[in-house]
Amino acid sequence: MAMKLRAPGWYRATAFVGLGVLFALGLTSAVRAASGLDPVIAGEAWLLVGLIAVPLFFLVGIGCFDYWFRWAAGKPTVPEDHSSHGAHSWRDYFRVNTDHKVIGIQYVVTSFFFLFIGGAVAMIMRAELAQPGTQIVDGQTFNGLFSVHAALLIFLFIIPVFAGLANYVIPLMIGAPDMAFPRLNALSFWMLPVAGTMMVASFLVGPFASGWTAYAPLSTTQPIGQMFFTIGVQFAGASSIATALNFLVTIITMRAPGLSFFRLPLLVWANFSTSLLVVIATPFIAASQFFVLLDYGLGFNFFSASRNGDVLMYQHVFWFYSHPAVYIMMLPGFGIVSEILAVKARKPIFGYRMMAFSLLAIVVLGFTVWAHHMFVSGMQDWIRVPMMVTTAIIAVPTGIKIFSWLATLWRGVLHIDTPMLFALGFLTMFTLGGISGVALAMLPFVIHVSDSYFIVAHIHYVLFGGSLFTVYAGVYYWFPKMTGRMYDETLGKVHFWVTFIMFNVTFAPMHLVGIEGMPRRVSDYPEQFASWNLAISVASIFLGLSTLIFVYNMVSSWVGGPKATANPWRALTLEWQVSSPPPIFNFDAVPTVVGGPYEYGVPGAVHGVFPDPDKDGADAAKQQPATTPSVAQ
Amino acid sequence: MEAASAAQGALVHDEHHGPPPANRSSAVEPQMLGMLLFIISEVMVFGAFFAAYFFIRIVGGAEWPAQGTELPVAIAGVNTAILLSSSLTLHWALVSVRAGNRAGLKAGILLTTLLGATFLFIQINEYVHLGFAAQDHAQGTIFFGLTGLHGAHVLIGLVLLIMVTVRSFRGHFSEKSHWGLEVPGIYWHFVDVMWIIVYTTIYIL
Amino acid sequence: MTEETPSGGRRSLARMLGIGLVASVLGVGLGLAIDWFPVQASTQASTIDTLYDVLIAVSVPIFVLVSVVVLYCVWRFRARPGQELEDGAPIHGDTRLEVIWTALPAVLLIALCTYAFVALDDIEAAQPDERRIRVTAQQYAWSFEYPNPRGGEPIRAEELVLVEGETVRFDIRALDVIHSFWVPAFRMKRDAVPGITTQLRITPNRRGRYPVVCAELCGLGHAFMRATANVVSRQEFDAWMAQQTQGTQERGG
Ligand code: HEA
Ligand code: HEA
Ligand code: CUA
Ligand SMILES: [Cu+2]
Repeated sequence: MAMKLRAPGWYRATAFVGLGVLFALGLTSAVRAASGLDPVIAGEAWLLVGLIAVPLFFLVGIGCFDYWFRWAAGKPTVPEDHSSHGAHSWRDYFRVNTDHKVIGIQYVVTSFFFLFIGGAVAMIMRAELAQPGTQIVDGQTFNGLFSVHAALLIFLFIIPVFAGLANYVIPLMIGAPDMAFPRLNALSFWMLPVAGTMMVASFLVGPFASGWTAYAPLSTTQPIGQMFFTIGVQFAGASSIATALNFLVTIITMRAPGLSFFRLPLLVWANFSTSLLVVIATPFIAASQFFVLLDYGLGFNFFSASRNGDVLMYQHVFWFYSHPAVYIMMLPGFGIVSEILAVKARKPIFGYRMMAFSLLAIVVLGFTVWAHHMFVSGMQDWIRVPMMVTTAIIAVPTGIKIFSWLATLWRGVLHIDTPMLFALGFLTMFTLGGISGVALAMLPFVIHVSDSYFIVAHIHYVLFGGSLFTVYAGVYYWFPKMTGRMYDETLGKVHFWVTFIMFNVTFAPMHLVGIEGMPRRVSDYPEQFASWNLAISVASIFLGLSTLIFVYNMVSSWVGGPKATANPWRALTLEWQVSSPPPIFNFDAVPTVVGGPYEYGVPGAVHGVFPDPDKDGADAAKQQPATTPSVAQ
Repeated sequence: MEAASAAQGALVHDEHHGPPPANRSSAVEPQMLGMLLFIISEVMVFGAFFAAYFFIRIVGGAEWPAQGTELPVAIAGVNTAILLSSSLTLHWALVSVRAGNRAGLKAGILLTTLLGATFLFIQINEYVHLGFAAQDHAQGTIFFGLTGLHGAHVLIGLVLLIMVTVRSFRGHFSEKSHWGLEVPGIYWHFVDVMWIIVYTTIYIL
Repeated sequence: MTEETPSGGRRSLARMLGIGLVASVLGVGLGLAIDWFPVQASTQASTIDTLYDVLIAVSVPIFVLVSVVVLYCVWRFRARPGQELEDGAPIHGDTRLEVIWTALPAVLLIALCTYAFVALDDIEAAQPDERRIRVTAQQYAWSFEYPNPRGGEPIRAEELVLVEGETVRFDIRALDVIHSFWVPAFRMKRDAVPGITTQLRITPNRRGRYPVVCAELCGLGHAFMRATANVVSRQEFDAWMAQQTQGTQERGG
């Protein structure tokens, strides 16, 4: 037992959680006693400090920091120790692991778990909205439901699931044995279940109920449940920043010889751009939630209007992150779709360079449009028109991508299987959502529909029809690589069609309902909207059920699906040139890249060549000049 | 995971043989690049706090400093000098280790840590004697917000410096290998530079 | 399967564009036929509704174009039996096309922005004799203050009474958290923000009673924070005002 408690893992983590609770109690009581506050033991303060301390104690307990602690204490460390690398049984997925492939799967499974919770919450919401009046939940609980729904789906599903797929695929694609900082990678992952548990646990004390936007001063005057969001987001945000740093360093410093930036698969480009956005923008949401925490917990006055605080400042800081965040939630999807369309249409991506540049253009423009969420907020009037123009212009690089994908289809040989269906579904549905976004940029119109169900429709067309469709496409596409098994094609197609149809029946009418005057974030509405809402609610149940087909397909295929070959899609990119699943260190020797990633239809085209293990010496000698970096230590 | 071992069957290495060395596609050291990117993030955190400052003082037009309060510009100025000199001693430590001078390394890093701790001590002392609190008004909030954020960074920097000090005294680092000193060092220089900006906007402007 | 020749490609293209054109016309027709909006009860409403019609006319063809290309490609270029191992044409790009689909949307969007800007100017234009009404939002109720025609204490009301054809300027404030003042029939909305006063201008032009909605999440009663805007003739308004002033005099007495 003592051994178990000393070794990193769940026993020690449990013990440390206990310690964290005691630490929070001790700290708050000591501070309260020292400043003469009565009573010395205050539940709320204890909980608040506990929310910060317990997760940190947990992370130490499970073993995220062991190596660094040894390093910091000056004890001998073995950088080549790979005992925490790779998975040999399912148990290895439940411990701190430094293998990017294990971490990728941990990420994807964890975030899908939160999709189901977030989606189930949406089902309760739709049940309440099926009829006008109050049936199932009261106003405050309803506010809690959509807040938790959105917080989970954004911070614990879309953002991390993309990071998870990229984690799995990118080192393979660029011919690297792992990420640049494997231990940081593990830490990034373990912060996620912490953040997610915290947000779900808010239901124990009354969930946070100020929307995922958590506008001050509403959020600073809410019950303690709000802090589960405020602090949970810090962990999710720290996780994203750490992963983004890791991706950037990996992509810049660990590409295979010959893999210049303009030979990178577009998925790598997309995650490169996304990571830039994360590194630059995410600190802003961290800060905005620090402000809320300080106002709430310590009585600061960032947002108290009566003491010179500035209420609109919250929105500026929040959206300076959260607009770029919508591209954080979309660009990796663009990358996935580029991979799939090229492979499934058996054609090179049309206009590769413009595809890469348009990603960068979106990154830059993404920072210039944040105030389009504040068109009716009462900010200075003059900011609105410039923001309208920049917002509209963002449709240009996005349009370049859409049209280039269409041109990629043209005169290809299209294999319409499940990943392709989701990719094509994405093309149409995201276009619709993007166009409604452009309509939202048009000032006079948005003055009417802002904060109405039209926005809810836009949100779901871009996030579900856009991001989630690409996630499904990506998961089906890389399923053989990740698990070594094939999924069931028929079930996959059924899943697509039910989802596609029910998605439209659920969310398309929301445009109309919104324009007719139904505000968002309400548990009750006038009789006039009753029939539409009932239809939406019914459709949403089928939409929810369609997810079960997916779950069944994934689980049963993972357990007993037919074995997958190394390259079932006949793809050129490097991840498909190794076995499915790949060897524990990805490559026995680093491959050399000699051509573009999408040269389908070009006779004799090769992307990467692998050194022949039999004549190791000769090949290694040939590659010597390219592989040896000319850096002085 | 049979596939994994099958693929490795060809090679005679055991499970823990380790990955093939990755190709180095850039002349930049990964740790260095990571730290620079992290500093970009940190700059943005400060940026958000400066945005708050801008909104409260300029857009909202709150008078500065708040009525009836006086900021101890001179003491903070001395403190600034202390922090800046710690950058110099840190640089000295780095130059020493590069030249293989271990005594210089130890002295430099120890001095840096002590100077940093002094800065933090004086800052806390200033908080106690200021005469206004963050709870009083938004000006107080932003004063404590920005200086407190910076103080927190000094604290993190100090923790890093203490680690480096411990390792220096245990005989780590050499002429050839000193990333463990250089990378936290960049962070410390960043903290110093940031203080100049904070000091200028909060105390002087 | 016939070999795809360049001219064959061109014929396909023409056929596809033809289908797209027809579908676009149908789509735009459908978009315009749908009765999207609630009643128009202000001059601002008609400007905004026209803008929306323009948006439909522009955006439906774009959506239809994308969908038609996808569907057409699926139909025309899907892998037929025997084609499993074939590849598509190795086309890497076409600079002329790329320039077109960069420039065309850009021009279109700039035009839309210009139009939206003009429309914005139109709906927010100040009028010479505006009535000024102060709107106060607090959890979870609206109240409206009119200047007292006899001087002194302003008149407070729970219902918003407006004169048909008379421009009003609302000065909106909030006492606790952010709310948002929205009258869907007028198509206009503006947040009520603690610490500042925000403004909104509306010219009602149709008599009737319309819901006033709080559009910004403001707490547990957000869904129920509603009031009524009653647009009446000048006579009715004056009578109402007289009644209200009497009320204040009696109370103030
Ligand atoms: C994945 C997420 C995602 C993405 C990609 C987008 C993309 C866009 N969004 Fe969206 N948006 C959200 C998620 C997203 N949004 C969310 C969650 C909210 C609500 C937040 C909240 O309040 O809770 C929101 C809210 C929101 C608002 C604020 C509304 C309000 O609250 O008042 C606005 C206003 O301008 C807007 C605009 C846009 C625009 C112009 C784009 C553009 O990037 C779209 C560009 C794409 C296209 C236009 C399609 C393809 C292009 C072509 C085929 C070329 C030709 C097209 C034309 C010429 C039109 N969005
Ligand atoms: C990626 C993001 C994402 C996704 C995938 C979804 C998915 C869904 N959303 Fe979400 N939604 C948001 C992001 C997202 N949403 C955001 C950002 C907001 C704004 C919040 C705010 O205002 O702050 C929002 C708001 C929002 C609202 C408006 C709330 C309001 O303003 O009052 C509604 C209302 O219908 C809604 C519904 C749904 C439904 C029915 C689904 C469905 O697609 C869900 C389907 C999935 C499942 C159901 C889960 C899996 C299935 C099971 C677990 C099996 C059990 C099934 C049954 C019991 C049938 N969402
Ligand atoms: Cu007031 Cu919502
Ligand atoms: Cu946005």
